[in-house]
Amino acid sequence: MSAASRHGPWRVSIALLRPLATMAVTLAALLCVTFALSSLSPVDPALKRVGDHASRAAYDQARHDLGLDLPWPRRLERYAIGVAHGDLGTSLSTGQPVARDLRRVFPATVELATLAMLLATFTGLVLAVASAARPGGVLDSLVRLLSLAGNSLPVFWLGLLGLYLFYARLQWLGGPGRLSDAYEYTIDMPTGLVLVDAWRSGLPGAFGSAASHMVLPVLLLAGYAVGNVARLTRAALLAESRKEYVLLARATGAGEARVLLYHMLPNTVGVVLTVLALTYANLLQGAVLVETVFARPGVGRYLTTALFAADTPAILGSTLLIGACFVVINGITDALVHLLDPRGA
Amino acid sequence: MRAARRGWPAALLLAGCALQGAWASSPPRVLVVAQDLDDIVSLDPAEGFELSSMQAFTSLYQRLVQPDPEQPARLLPVLASSWQAGPGSLVFQLRPGASFASGNPVTADDVIYSLSRAVRLNRSPAFILNELGWNAGTVDQHLIRLDEHRVRVTWSTPVGPTFALNVLSATVASIVDRREVEAHARGADAGNRWLHDHSAGSGPFRIRRYIPHEALVLDANPGSPGDAPRLQTIVIRSVPDAATRELLVRVGDADIARDLGPDQLAALRGRPGLVFRQFPSAAIHYLLFNTASRDQPALANPALWQAARWLIDYQGLAHQLLQDQYLVHQGFLAAGFPGALDDTPYHLDIPRARAILHAAGLDHGLTLTLDVFNQAPFLEIAQSLQSTFGAAGIHLVLHPALTGEVYSRVRSHAEQAVWLYWIPDYSDAHSTASAFALNREDGSTSIAGRAGWHIPALSAQTLAAVREADPGRRLADYRRIQAEVQRSSPYVIALQERRELVLRSNVRGYRQGLNADMVYYDQVSK
Repeated sequence: MSAASRHGPWRVSIALLRPLATMAVTLAALLCVTFALSSLSPVDPALKRVGDHASRAAYDQARHDLGLDLPWPRRLERYAIGVAHGDLGTSLSTGQPVARDLRRVFPATVELATLAMLLATFTGLVLAVASAARPGGVLDSLVRLLSLAGNSLPVFWLGLLGLYLFYARLQWLGGPGRLSDAYEYTIDMPTGLVLVDAWRSGLPGAFGSAASHMVLPVLLLAGYAVGNVARLTRAALLAESRKEYVLLARATGAGEARVLLYHMLPNTVGVVLTVLALTYANLLQGAVLVETVFARPGVGRYLTTALFAADTPAILGSTLLIGACFVVINGITDALVHLLDPRGA
Repeated sequence: MRAARRGWPAALLLAGCALQGAWASSPPRVLVVAQDLDDIVSLDPAEGFELSSMQAFTSLYQRLVQPDPEQPARLLPVLASSWQAGPGSLVFQLRPGASFASGNPVTADDVIYSLSRAVRLNRSPAFILNELGWNAGTVDQHLIRLDEHRVRVTWSTPVGPTFALNVLSATVASIVDRREVEAHARGADAGNRWLHDHSAGSGPFRIRRYIPHEALVLDANPGSPGDAPRLQTIVIRSVPDAATRELLVRVGDADIARDLGPDQLAALRGRPGLVFRQFPSAAIHYLLFNTASRDQPALANPALWQAARWLIDYQGLAHQLLQDQYLVHQGFLAAGFPGALDDTPYHLDIPRARAILHAAGLDHGLTLTLDVFNQAPFLEIAQSLQSTFGAAGIHLVLHPALTGEVYSRVRSHAEQAVWLYWIPDYSDAHSTASAFALNREDGSTSIAGRAGWHIPALSAQTLAAVREADPGRRLADYRRIQAEVQRSSPYVIALQERRELVLRSNVRGYRQGLNADMVYYDQVSK
């Protein structure tokens, strides 16, 4: 490959087009696998719809309405055509179009996950650099302990503990929900992002209430994410520290801080971006326990409720959304890694 | 300087506190209820048949007649001011001046539209109206408009007017505002999609906003027939986790917390500012054997059913394990309903059960699968059964599963034994009797049918009881049928629920009755 193609518009185009093709193939495969798994579910969606006391006629009618009397390839075809037209079907649990449900719950998840990710990225990188500066030191041990705790302590338990201490006992922070009762369900939520909508409402105290309710869930999610970021970035930095260019930099008389921040850290950008992307994608779909304990809406909780209710359209819709998030985030990460990798420059 | 450094985390949190503003009390004129709303499928009374939607219907809609909150067997006129019973018919006089939340008057056309609509939509609760012989093809001939405020209701099944009144007191017979619903109908949906999250009734409240899995917000409807509600707004917050509900009511952000477990209740007891109230519920818990099971022929042996009656630690379950959230009850009609049996002839007696099993040749190590919902308190109950049955040589293999999976297995007769509960669909005894003591042998889904219990004589008695016009004789019939079920059926009725709510002490006037829909917010003040 010529130098021109490596650095020219070709490189950018390939970096952008490849994820799009991957996304299409991945989502199609995801659709098929999720559909097959939903078909194998031991829970009968028709029974969920008509209830346990319904007559045989009502039950048969529900099976017909839901298309359950059709062979599964026909059902899959019907669903795929709907998806292609932007129709994700109607949720059996909420009675609403799945697309509308997802538009409502997704911004809440994005808001929570993004704030947690920003906090975790900053804290995780600082901790990783600090612990990689003196491997085996007190700070390094502390960071490893923190990473272990972040990954091992159950979020559910920590959430309840946090609520008990800071909400019920000390009354320093907001509790379950997204706003206090004085504002909840009274202010309009056009964006679905509670901080933005509370700010735009202009009601005195609304933003403070939203922020106060946000602190504990964000801290909890960030606590989980910071462990991943710090641990893997630290490992990448330590791997770099054994390479010859680091030895050369030190031999030229560069200080430890300069070696870490200007020589080693840029070379870990690929690892760091990948870790951040995977962690963020996990936060988007894996906040279910935090959403449950804090009674906040979100995709994770929506999907879990749908799973318990054998709500196939909601399961398929939210799985597709989460799958699309994974693919988009991975695609963007790949493109960024290509663009930012100093070895390619 | 050091002290200042140490204090910064606290300062940060205090800043959060300052941001938050007012604390620890729900707004005045607003009642905040913390409960799990995840079960709601629809708030259309012709479709909703879940606990949370049934509880909401009493606030949103009215029926011609409704059960008395204190005595559920007694029906009170609500949208009807009076009625006249004839052979196979009832003529209702509508309450003069009654209007819907929209301001539209309640007329005979609304009554006919509502009942006909529920039958035609044919969703979960429609089978209740089918008890009167109504179906999509015939319902219109049974609903006759006499004038603007009078309607004649007839039925084709051989039942008395008392039974018909009870059917019309079910939430599926709620009267909706025809003009409002028709204005929002799309295609042939009869407004069903719109009514999923809106209301068009004459109840004391109307829906301001319903956000699935988040909240149901109700505003007062001051024009509702009857007393105007005392509070302006009811916010029912969906809080799926019981421990979180406990914290909300403890702090005062919720005025009422529902469905707390024994642990949460124990943690709250003795705390100032809280009141505990227990309401009996019509929910009956029972063990069912599938006598038609192909995997385990012993399930068809009545000796096994008999032994099982002596293998449940009724008192231990109700008082120790479930901390008095249940009471021992062994008849299919819940205590509180007329005709309910209040005797409890069975108790834990392992030697007696062993003797019955020995005499029947079932003492050579029997293994049964017990299906159970994978949530509290069902798992705890199942573990207790496993222990007591094990003591008599019956090995119970527990099969915990999602509620939907358990019902799917029961419907397809795949279970061997299962622990279930039953809530009556309407106040008349026939609702429960037709489940436990009627097997039409036509593939219909009564509990007797699911158990594969063949009872032509008992089924005939059950059908005769619903036709009996004399109330005294009818109650005697149901007592006799219950005694037979208690003695010889392949199910063991064991417990009746009591629902314990925690309220803030400033909440007054909350009422709750036996049946699922009997939740009343209209007289609540704080």
